[in-house]
Amino acid sequence: MRRTGFLYDERYLLHRTGSGHPECPERLTAIFAGIASSGLLEKVRRITAHRPDLAWIEAVHPRDYIERLEQACLNGETEFHGPDNQMCRATFQVALLAAGGILDTLDLIMSGELDNAFCAVRPPGHHAEPMYAMGFCYFNNIAIAARYLQKRWGIGKVAIVDIDVHHGNGTQLIFEADQTVFYYSIHEHPTFAFPGTGREFEIGRDKGLGYTKNSIVVPGQGDEIYRFLLERDLVPALEMFRPEVILVSTGFDAHADDDMADLKLTTEGYAWVMRKIRELADRFCGGKLVSILEGGYCLERLPELGRDHVAILLGD
Amino acid sequence: MFVTKAMTRKVVTVRPEDNLLDTRALMKSHKIHHIPVVEEGNKLVGIISDRDVRSAMPSTLYYESGSERERVKLEKFKVRDVMTKNVITLSLRDTVQDALLLLLKYDIGGLPVVDGDGRLVGILAVRDLLRALVSVLGIGQPGSLLCLLVDDKLGETKKIVDIVFEEKIPIGSILVARHWEPGKRAVFPYLMSINVGSLKRKFQEKGYTILDPEEWYLEDVERTKEERVP
Ligand SMILES: [Zn+2]
Repeated sequence: MRRTGFLYDERYLLHRTGSGHPECPERLTAIFAGIASSGLLEKVRRITAHRPDLAWIEAVHPRDYIERLEQACLNGETEFHGPDNQMCRATFQVALLAAGGILDTLDLIMSGELDNAFCAVRPPGHHAEPMYAMGFCYFNNIAIAARYLQKRWGIGKVAIVDIDVHHGNGTQLIFEADQTVFYYSIHEHPTFAFPGTGREFEIGRDKGLGYTKNSIVVPGQGDEIYRFLLERDLVPALEMFRPEVILVSTGFDAHADDDMADLKLTTEGYAWVMRKIRELADRFCGGKLVSILEGGYCLERLPELGRDHVAILLGD
Repeated sequence: MFVTKAMTRKVVTVRPEDNLLDTRALMKSHKIHHIPVVEEGNKLVGIISDRDVRSAMPSTLYYESGSERERVKLEKFKVRDVMTKNVITLSLRDTVQDALLLLLKYDIGGLPVVDGDGRLVGILAVRDLLRALVSVLGIGQPGSLLCLLVDDKLGETKKIVDIVFEEKIPIGSILVARHWEPGKRAVFPYLMSINVGSLKRKFQEKGYTILDPEEWYLEDVERTKEERVP
């Protein structure tokens, strides 16, 4: 059995998005319930969050942006950069705690106390651009994590594997010219699904040319095409890149029962995908793997998806 | 949209008395294939393409590219000797729609825009049209695309817009097209939001059919005989 961390902090429930909004606190309690009811809580190391040093947020987002988000919260505004991004007075603090909890988790991995971890955080992050909140995201958690690994722990090469059904436009934008962070994403075809980026011809630029890779899934497709594309695109990409740590943007919204998009990945399909990523982490990174929650909105499926996810990290 | 909003205003031009060597160099350095030919007062008198320049060279074998012989020959020829004189142009009142139809009809790469006195004011290249199309479709902005099947009746699109409005989702663009099923239309709203799950449910509750993208196509895009697949 592996030493697996599980980041979950009840303060993540305090980010309120208003009634009927899909990015709701119940998503996290559903995931937690699935993990708790299958007896996995006793097998993982529980992690709660600390407020991070703002310098780590500033490694991705300009101070000006951070201050404007804080001010909007203090003013009691209910949306930020468009109606998708509903918020409350706690949103800024919760968003900080999401990033902060992830950094705490990375410390435990890098100091050798843990092998891998699942960070069940809210709000999500992969759509957030340095200066722009988008798609329910305020701080780009996974980008902050990658920069932290590099600056705090001296890691040279970080791979980000994004399995959310939507393309992580923010993450891609942040690293598109950077050859030290490989960004791989598999998602629904951008002509149909938000945000409309992540086409196959987006492959990075300048020094980062060849360090971005997008796999496209046509609406209606599921398990079979995921297997095919991960073997065809992700495996050779990581063989070439040889990351020292793998970070995963875990979105459960490619599930067939999730109506935010049109893909048909099953619960078993998700398990296969995660095992494949674990196998790659074993091959290249001595198992060092940190999964960070992005989307996933089907409250009926989230318990089993969260449970399997943690079970696979534990070595199942 | 009028062509004046989409065209390129800074146009590279040549004079009828310019030689082909300089003209070819201009095409290469600006990476363009067509140059409008103007006289005194910016009056448009022709257009010259890289094909026209090549036509001045009878044998590519004899006049090897980059050779002194070729250079001398190109220098001797003037723009007026090979340019197209009957230029298809756009006027200030023409629209992007006109330009699309003209380009399709004549199979050309760019259209000079002239004012009432025949003076050149801009050029509309295929690239400018593509930019306009991306902007009209709204796909430069983040969003999600839906396709709904509705009855071909007055007011159906309005109902759809109303439902989207109730959900407080901004619309980037909306396209209405004929559908192969008689009496039906396909409506494609491009929504500036990730949050389309509950909207889709609402459409289904109200009895709308959400089309499988596999079944989408534009039925009556006209093709020439050569383009048509047998
Ligand atoms: Zn998503």
